[in-house]
Amino acid sequence: MTAPSVQQREVRLMKRTRKRPGERMNWTLILVLGLFAIYCLLPLWWVFVNMFKDNPQLFSSFGLWFSSPSHLLENLNTLFTREDGIFWTWLRNSFIYAGFTAVLTTIICALGGYGFSKYNFAGKGPLFALILGTIMVPSTALVLPIFLLMQKLELINTIWAVILPSIINPFGLYLMRVFWDSGLPDELMEAARIDGAGHWTIFWEIGLPLVRGGLVTVGLFSFVASWNNFFLPLVVVSKTELFPMTLGLSVWNTISTGQTPIYPVIILGSLISILPLVIGFLTLGRFWQGGLGAGAVKG
Amino acid sequence: MKNSRAAYFFIAPFILVFTAFYLVPVGYAVYLSLFVRKRIATGQAPQEVFSGLDNYARAFSDSEFLRSLANIVVFGVVQVPLMIGIALLLALALDSYKGIALKFFRTVFYLPYTLPTIIAGLLWGYLYSKDLSPFNQISLALGGGKIDFFSGLALFFSIGNIVTWTWTGYNMITLYASLQNISPDLYEAARIDGATGWQISRFIKIPLLRPTLLLTMIFSVIGTSQIFSEPFVLRSSGNYVPDNITPNIYLYLTASRDGNFSYAATLAIILALITFAFSGFFLKAAGFSGERK
Repeated sequence: MTAPSVQQREVRLMKRTRKRPGERMNWTLILVLGLFAIYCLLPLWWVFVNMFKDNPQLFSSFGLWFSSPSHLLENLNTLFTREDGIFWTWLRNSFIYAGFTAVLTTIICALGGYGFSKYNFAGKGPLFALILGTIMVPSTALVLPIFLLMQKLELINTIWAVILPSIINPFGLYLMRVFWDSGLPDELMEAARIDGAGHWTIFWEIGLPLVRGGLVTVGLFSFVASWNNFFLPLVVVSKTELFPMTLGLSVWNTISTGQTPIYPVIILGSLISILPLVIGFLTLGRFWQGGLGAGAVKG
Repeated sequence: MKNSRAAYFFIAPFILVFTAFYLVPVGYAVYLSLFVRKRIATGQAPQEVFSGLDNYARAFSDSEFLRSLANIVVFGVVQVPLMIGIALLLALALDSYKGIALKFFRTVFYLPYTLPTIIAGLLWGYLYSKDLSPFNQISLALGGGKIDFFSGLALFFSIGNIVTWTWTGYNMITLYASLQNISPDLYEAARIDGATGWQISRFIKIPLLRPTLLLTMIFSVIGTSQIFSEPFVLRSSGNYVPDNITPNIYLYLTASRDGNFSYAATLAIILALITFAFSGFFLKAAGFSGERK
């Protein structure tokens, strides 16, 4: 018994050609993937179909199909003029909160990640472990004490009450450290140092352009987290004109259960509230993958 | 790598914000939890009185709170493995799929995660609603009765479904990204040795996915302990959802409705400790120890 005989090899070759990976299993695969895709799209399809309906149509027509005539324009008009057009304000607030949060988070994570990646200092290991460990603590457990502190600082019902607590992002710091580790080689830093570049020049002029992908990823993740946040604004703002959209729609939803149902408005509002994220996700998709990949590999 | 004072300059902003909005609130919550709101004399406004561990003793004999903890533990035991299991299956399926719709599937699976939880809750709330639900319309058309999505046990499935809908795709994409990093040479070698697609998944892919599986599980355990928006929005849509459906709902009501902040802070701390213990248990069970590199 030495090398595989011609016969054996032929059997193997036959197996390989017979299998033709992917071909035989494709239909089961497509069925499984297709069914899950339908499940994922179901609520989105529902909201898309129903934004064209008025209140009676919502109840009288089949929920997963269109009904004529279309009331989309009427619904849009109601949504944007209701309570003096406060929906605009909520939309704007969401953009302000998410925008500020994304920018500030990215700045402090880029700086911090650089510090942890490129320098040694006393207590570095334990400090990083402490920060990472906080990922495990439910963030909602923090919201109540934050509310009380904000009250003391008289920051309740200001935009800072929503923005400031959102900009700590341990996972963002971790991601930036990973990006710095692989993005900016130590030799390059050494070379720059010999050429007389200072700490800041190395960070700002040489380093940052090399971790652009990381900056976009961290920015994107914190934008989404802030845009979707509900618990924090629910607790720290009570003035309607400071609500982000999530909170505003939730309040309308509560009202809607009373005597005046405003379903079409909420349905359309929900759709509009998710559009920016869906568009952002479709256009910047590769950065999401980048962040998830980095998280996954190093996990 | 070198020692330099410049390091402090770079980490200072993060540490500052971390201290102000993380460490200080945690410390403050611990401090608060040691006080009880009491009316010292009749006719006087209630005051916060130092009471040691009284709040903790109360929490552990508070049947409403214990019930909410039990709910979430049972919920997590069903929800997390189910969700990660589906995510794993789909990630393996997607990894084997070589057709033209790959990008479509990837995008669609990830889409639910990008939605605000509150909006996901709103939309599913409509899909569950007595009069609007297309499921009920179909059921009626087929001669069946209306389904009550909010009664007793059904409520847990209704909430579980929203959580599954939101997070399965996210977990799947994380696992999928990790699968993409495995060298295809490994599969080729196995295939030459006659391994089937299933064997490749079972003996090569899944073992290599272990760290990522663990990560997704820990995040899911943490996420489960924090469930708030889904029951909150179903509740505010006028459905009957018990006060103690999850610990977060219960502690929110304790603070906002009853105004008892010190007790709410105590509940928050207990919840955090339990989550911490569970996550630690997972890490340990999976053979991880100490700091991650």
